[in-house]
Amino acid sequence: MNASMPAAAVQQQFDDAPQQKEAAMLGMWAFIATEVLFFGVLFAAYVICRWRFQLAFVEGSSHLDFPMGTAETAILLTSGCLSAIALRQIQLNKARQSAVLLLAASLLGVAFLVLHGMEYHDEFKEGLIPGIRYVEKGPSAHEMELFFALYYVTTGFHSLHVLIGVVLLLIMALRTWRGSFCAPYHTPIEITGLYWSLVDIVWIFVYPAFYLVGSAG
Amino acid sequence: MTQQEIPTLRSQLLVLAGLLMLLALSASLSRVPLGWWVLVITASVAVSQALLVMVVFMRLKSAHPALRMIAILAFAWPLILVALTLGDYFTRSLLHAALH
Amino acid sequence: MNATATTADLESMGSGYLVEGGRTLWSWLGTRDHKRIAILYTIAITAFFFMGGAAATLIRLTLIHPDGRLLSAETYNKTFTFHGVVMVWFFLIPSIPSTMGNFLVPIMIGARDMAFPRLNLFSWYLYMIGGLFTAATLVFGGVDTGWTFYTPFSTMFSNTNVILAVVGVFVVGFSTILTGMNLIVTTHMMRAPGMHWYRLPLFVWAMYATSVVMMLATPVLAMTLALIGLERLAGVGIFDPALGGDPILFQHFFWFYSHPAVYIMILPAMGVASELICNGVRRRIFGYKFMAWSMFGIAFIGFLVWGHHMFVAGQSMYAGIVFSMLSFVVAVPSAIKVFNWLATLYKGDIHFHAPMIYALGFVGLFTLGGMTGLFLAAVALDVNLTDTYFVVAHFHYIMVGGSVMAYLGGIHYWWPKATGRMYSENIARLAAILMFVGFNLTFFPQYILGYEGMPRRYHQYLPQFQELNVISSIGALILAVSYLMPLFYLGHSLFRGEPAGSNPWRATGLEWTIASPPPEHNFHETPVVTADPYDYRD
Repeated sequence: MNASMPAAAVQQQFDDAPQQKEAAMLGMWAFIATEVLFFGVLFAAYVICRWRFQLAFVEGSSHLDFPMGTAETAILLTSGCLSAIALRQIQLNKARQSAVLLLAASLLGVAFLVLHGMEYHDEFKEGLIPGIRYVEKGPSAHEMELFFALYYVTTGFHSLHVLIGVVLLLIMALRTWRGSFCAPYHTPIEITGLYWSLVDIVWIFVYPAFYLVGSAG
Repeated sequence: MTQQEIPTLRSQLLVLAGLLMLLALSASLSRVPLGWWVLVITASVAVSQALLVMVVFMRLKSAHPALRMIAILAFAWPLILVALTLGDYFTRSLLHAALH
Repeated sequence: MNATATTADLESMGSGYLVEGGRTLWSWLGTRDHKRIAILYTIAITAFFFMGGAAATLIRLTLIHPDGRLLSAETYNKTFTFHGVVMVWFFLIPSIPSTMGNFLVPIMIGARDMAFPRLNLFSWYLYMIGGLFTAATLVFGGVDTGWTFYTPFSTMFSNTNVILAVVGVFVVGFSTILTGMNLIVTTHMMRAPGMHWYRLPLFVWAMYATSVVMMLATPVLAMTLALIGLERLAGVGIFDPALGGDPILFQHFFWFYSHPAVYIMILPAMGVASELICNGVRRRIFGYKFMAWSMFGIAFIGFLVWGHHMFVAGQSMYAGIVFSMLSFVVAVPSAIKVFNWLATLYKGDIHFHAPMIYALGFVGLFTLGGMTGLFLAAVALDVNLTDTYFVVAHFHYIMVGGSVMAYLGGIHYWWPKATGRMYSENIARLAAILMFVGFNLTFFPQYILGYEGMPRRYHQYLPQFQELNVISSIGALILAVSYLMPLFYLGHSLFRGEPAGSNPWRATGLEWTIASPPPEHNFHETPVVTADPYDYRD
């Protein structure tokens, strides 16, 4: 019976719109917590492996495309800011502006995916992908394989999240353009923004962990 | 939370500028051979960036305390995992040292 | 709070939510009513319980004879793996939260439904899909890793359907997460006017604490299992010693989830027991706030003790000592709960109806299981007892003696509320007592076997262990009968039971103020709560 109602209506189990909104926000944050822990395992594995194989991690990191990673970080940060401003604009009842900002945010997400795909492609050519094509030889080849395994699992799961985020942002842009949201009711945009910021935060930690190992150690 | 204050455009753009500056700082300093300081710098930059995003873009500043509680739990729990697991790895070699 | 109760006594089976949402199959499979979803869960969980139980029966039949004639070593390994996987993830973890939690939490706090009804239904479908994968492992020949999926055996050596099983558990994990999220948001946001936190029944506190653990632990399991799958498929070598990876790292991650998972199983049982005991002795709970916060104490400290599963696995000795001490700490809030239940009962006028017998059984068996847990938390003793039947007996006292007893007690207690019918009290008492006897007969000998050194997970054993194994298998037979009995007399009561009326136990709590079975949206008008829980006055 919920599905047939107009989007702005309050579902029967709630007393009023603020209660419904607060429930949605709390639910989203609970979901974010589970996502943080999901990635948290990979970071825990990373910390252990990095502590055990410091030199291999420095060497592995030097094979990654540092300028590309930095550009990707800047893109995601900007995109996150655009989605935050989109929320502000819809609160001011500027639906068209909000829709354009959401579209721009999702296009930046696409740009991120394209750049990262190019990175994957180059690394495939270099033979750095464990399990698919890994040609590294030398004393620390095995330990470097762990570095790359963690890199691919982490960035792979992250890219999957970016992809989901891009789709969500596109849907939100479309719905906003069509006037589904307004100043009193914009919870889906806020929820999507939270998700997109989570994707941002994960990358904020991925970037230094893999690209900036640099001369540490 | 029911009566949301709307942040200014200026504040959002300032935070973006701050994030990008932190990124530049972290990226450039990581190229300098500073040894373990690179780890310290990049890690603290990442934490500050994440905090900025959470407090401003995700609006934890004006959020319900329950949301802030969940946000803290979310980041505290992986730390528990890392800390107690690392404790094992740190002290394994101690045992070997004692035996030999 | 009182306006809705008047017509309740006239209503019975075939009214309320059971018919109001429609009578077709689709009206059930597409429902968003938390009560109907709870019934869907109950049916599915019961099916899995008896599947896991069948595996347990096979195990006990094999162990009657030291030669292990019934099952080959390989089939035996697959049987205990299936038993473990099904009982842990498809029965114990969702048992109370997804059935009674789903049914009761919204009613107990005075809400019309869960916060996210569609998500609630979705989580049932995820549960069924995960169950399908797990059942499929049987069709394709089973899995032989044990429910723990320890590396490197699970990643490098096992030739069985590990990936299929891992996918099943991964999917059901998300079902758990969604249920937990839903319960957290519901408890926070949907409480009726006047229902502030310290007026919540302890069952709701228990469900809340459990949900927090579900939310913070289950994703870790999901990613760890994903890493196992990726290691088998693509050679991601984080747990692979050949690449420098560490199999013990898997155990760290696995037990970071799986030890708190024990509290996902036992905290709801504690909540149920608190309700049952207060009703059986018709008193307020002793030390309400201590009871509420000790559950959070258990939930929190439960996250810091996982290393006690790894004392002999190759973990550093120093880490072992720290984990050992933290494990002793978790006994403190657990003991607070046991003492408070006893203080509630002290010099009380106890009514020995079936739910109360289950609840008292729970307290006794949980205490015994918890005490032996302290033995195992002591490093020096655990070095001898690891991987013996002592461990098997210990965790079965907690999970079967504790959780299943409380689960069945709760099923009996809220049966009249959910169905509108009373079951036959005398035969239910008989089943409860039989269960207590059968359980102890099955598992107490295993303490002795383990102490004498019989290792777990072997299909053969030394001849001197046979007597106790035979006693254990006879106990298992009694236990099996006592588990089958409710199926018949509860089933019978659906058609022939006396109408229960809205409050057959003369209990307090919002769920007893509405009709049995409750109407579709629980309350015709939102209740206003003015009293503390367990306001028994006679």
